[in-house]
Amino acid sequence: MSFAQPQHILNPELRWHDLYKYLDRPGPYANEGFTPGAVVKEFLHSIKILVVGAGGLGCELLKDLALTGFTDIHVIDMDTIDISNLNRQFLFRASDVGRSKAETAAEFIMKRVPGVTITPFFGKIQDKDEDYYDQFTIIICGLDSVEARRWINATVVNMYDEDYPETFKPIIDGGTEGFKGQSRIILPSITACYECSLDMQTKPTTYPMCTIANTPRLPEHCIEWASVLEWPREFPEKKLDGDDPEHIKWLLDRASSRAKEFDITGVTYSLAQGVVKNIIPAIASTNAIVAASCATEAFKIATNCSTPMSNYMMYVGDQGVYTYTFELQKKEDCPVCGGVSIKIEIHPSATLQDLIDLLMERKDTQLKKPSLRTESTSLYMQAPRMLEEATRPNLVRTIADLLSDGEQVTVTDEALPISMNMTVHFTG
Amino acid sequence: MTVVDARNVEVQDLGHNFFVTKDHLGQSRGKTVTELLLELNSEVAGEYVQKDPAEIIANSPEFFDQFTLVIATQLDGESVQRLADVCWEAELPLVVVRVHGLIGYSRIVVPEHTVIESHPEQIVDLRFDCPFETLRQFADSFDLESLDSHSYGHVPYIVILLKCVEHWKGLHGGALPSNGTERSDFKDLIRSTQRPDLLENQNFEEALSAAYRAWTPTTIPASINAIINDDRASKLSSKTPNFWFIAKAVQEFVANEGQGYLPLPGNVPDMHADSDSYIKLQTIFRAKAREDAATVSRRVQALLATVGEPSDRVPQDEIDRFCKNAGYLKVIRYRSLKEEYHPSSAKSKEIGNWLESDPADNIGWYIMLRVYEDCYARNKLYPGLSSEHLENDAAALRKAYENFMTERGLNASLVPDEHIEEFTRAGGSELHVLAALQGGLVAQEVIKLLTRQYVPLDNTVIFNGMKSIASVYSL
Repeated sequence: MSFAQPQHILNPELRWHDLYKYLDRPGPYANEGFTPGAVVKEFLHSIKILVVGAGGLGCELLKDLALTGFTDIHVIDMDTIDISNLNRQFLFRASDVGRSKAETAAEFIMKRVPGVTITPFFGKIQDKDEDYYDQFTIIICGLDSVEARRWINATVVNMYDEDYPETFKPIIDGGTEGFKGQSRIILPSITACYECSLDMQTKPTTYPMCTIANTPRLPEHCIEWASVLEWPREFPEKKLDGDDPEHIKWLLDRASSRAKEFDITGVTYSLAQGVVKNIIPAIASTNAIVAASCATEAFKIATNCSTPMSNYMMYVGDQGVYTYTFELQKKEDCPVCGGVSIKIEIHPSATLQDLIDLLMERKDTQLKKPSLRTESTSLYMQAPRMLEEATRPNLVRTIADLLSDGEQVTVTDEALPISMNMTVHFTG
Repeated sequence: MTVVDARNVEVQDLGHNFFVTKDHLGQSRGKTVTELLLELNSEVAGEYVQKDPAEIIANSPEFFDQFTLVIATQLDGESVQRLADVCWEAELPLVVVRVHGLIGYSRIVVPEHTVIESHPEQIVDLRFDCPFETLRQFADSFDLESLDSHSYGHVPYIVILLKCVEHWKGLHGGALPSNGTERSDFKDLIRSTQRPDLLENQNFEEALSAAYRAWTPTTIPASINAIINDDRASKLSSKTPNFWFIAKAVQEFVANEGQGYLPLPGNVPDMHADSDSYIKLQTIFRAKAREDAATVSRRVQALLATVGEPSDRVPQDEIDRFCKNAGYLKVIRYRSLKEEYHPSSAKSKEIGNWLESDPADNIGWYIMLRVYEDCYARNKLYPGLSSEHLENDAAALRKAYENFMTERGLNASLVPDEHIEEFTRAGGSELHVLAALQGGLVAQEVIKLLTRQYVPLDNTVIFNGMKSIASVYSL
């Protein structure tokens, strides 16, 4: 005797019973333009959505989106699974260690949730071009680096062309660190973008070189001494790999000797690894909360069944539960979405190198290797090698020599996929 | 963990429950969920009980005696109240969770929750105004005048501040800088000890930044005084938890050996200094902390003896942690659900005030959740479940709401009518995303309750998924 066919079992009216209450019924707090019924349901079930990152947030996001009716989900992640991921990246098992996160996550979700297609890409976000990103209606990021967020933000925000509404792609961005997290919505050209809030990012702990070299006091100083000073001395050709247990053992040994010399206690294997990899412990609950918040926003944006958040929520959970939701303002001179150029003030007798140093120091630009040019000429280009050599002499020339007061300079940098316009004004 | 659920896996579950699959349709939901959850962590043991929680609560509440903590999700209002009474009697922590469309709710209920390790941002207790003997000697051992420039630039800022405080006290009859002018003068005093030839001077910059610590007298925070003088600390018995024995011992320490001060935590923040001086400073602080902890320990043992308990009942490690965190202890005495619900003790007036100052306050959704359960209790029907008579359902909900407000002496116009419509629209739906979010919040609170680390919320959190705002209330 054969039993009922799968199609009957997956009757959407039954399966999505809870979801459809929001999509079949009007409500006083629905978003403007919400029309309940078949069209909005079909839209939700058919659009393409991209999840960037298949780690702590990514796993939660994929689950949440799949169980919210999205059926065509793509996921990008360049990493493979590590044993330390298993405490929260619940789509992975011990036997998956070493495999691609994106591929393993996709496999698990598709096996668990019928009718959803997850298309993984095991690689970098920079490996894909505008055509790739153009296919998505919404992009959700569960990343762990400022650089990757800046890249996606700049790429997607710049894709938006007012004359072609399909190029408008909301970005939902989530981030977590221990008990803290945030989720936000970026609507290109309408709300603040990621670059607008760059100076809000806290920099990781660094220790002064003189402390590391001469006056260590903490076990961290001893570990940094071993990794930053001793390792290059002993292995000038070899790069220190924080994931190689042999390397960590070597560091542990050297750091322990140094610690003993200075009567410092506390050097352990896990501290050594933590310092070298700049690890901040991650907990499952924060990821669950932030990812769910992002997925909720995706649901609301895709259907209009309720209003999306406006536009940034911060969460802290170590002392009670606390959220702070506010509207982050656009920066007028944002290099990505702003209409106005950044104003830089510098003394005309300063050198071009001084100007470059200034740009690298500024928290709101965070450039790594800036190249500068004016409308008419290249001031200093980091690449290619011939051009770098040709423009290098400019570094010691004065600003007065190279530019006029208020002149526009275009800056490009590996941290930003677009160019940044600034005007240089003379002080003093 | 034990999962209690009477139902079998249905198609509706496939739309929002990650721990069931279509292959499990028709099978026990509790069994299925337990099996799939256990895959996440091989060190977890799990069981299921195929029974209706409401039935167990009504007929065999002794079932809950075996647990350390109970989490109740989507339970009807009456069962929740009964369960809360059962757990309260047994001093068993209970966490109530609900989701309703885009609204999430949790309530923690337990008579008392004590926390030693609340994990404050920083534990700083440097005793500038009352240096203990070895610290004073250490500071005195520095003859600043005689030091060469390099050494001068590596004197720990604690020593610099100690010397400045001592000097100031000498000139002001033992008093600390106590107003704006004096504080400014104190900072000038610090600056005057800098050598003009030293441009580096990071230790003096640190001294200036930390100057406020030097002029703030070392005191015991009011909340800590309340804890160590609490009734539970004074009235010890063999049944009293360890926390209170140590609290009493610390109270005695403060009144005697501590000379009015808490046991020293003993940590020293990192600072610009030569390694030798820094390590010496750390050693001095650690030694004093150990000494204080040992004294507290002796007192704990004496107290245990007075009630006939074995002297090793309280582990040394617990005493050490208590002493280290003495300035940051937390004791939460939750209000019972009975107190929250009963009109004579409910915080109706506060609720009225919150809504009057902000009609959009999330407490409006709390009222909706309460009223929703009242509606069910009255009519054996949840409004909004079926699309057929939404208007009637909204009317029923509105009636229940009006009764609720009248019973509490509150104006029925306080909650916007749109809330009632929206709540009916949501019709008891369990959206996965809200369940996941509320689940994440609750999971963390449960971990805090079980580990007694970090501080759990007191006592209700509402998450509004429309505005993306969480609000905490003590109801």
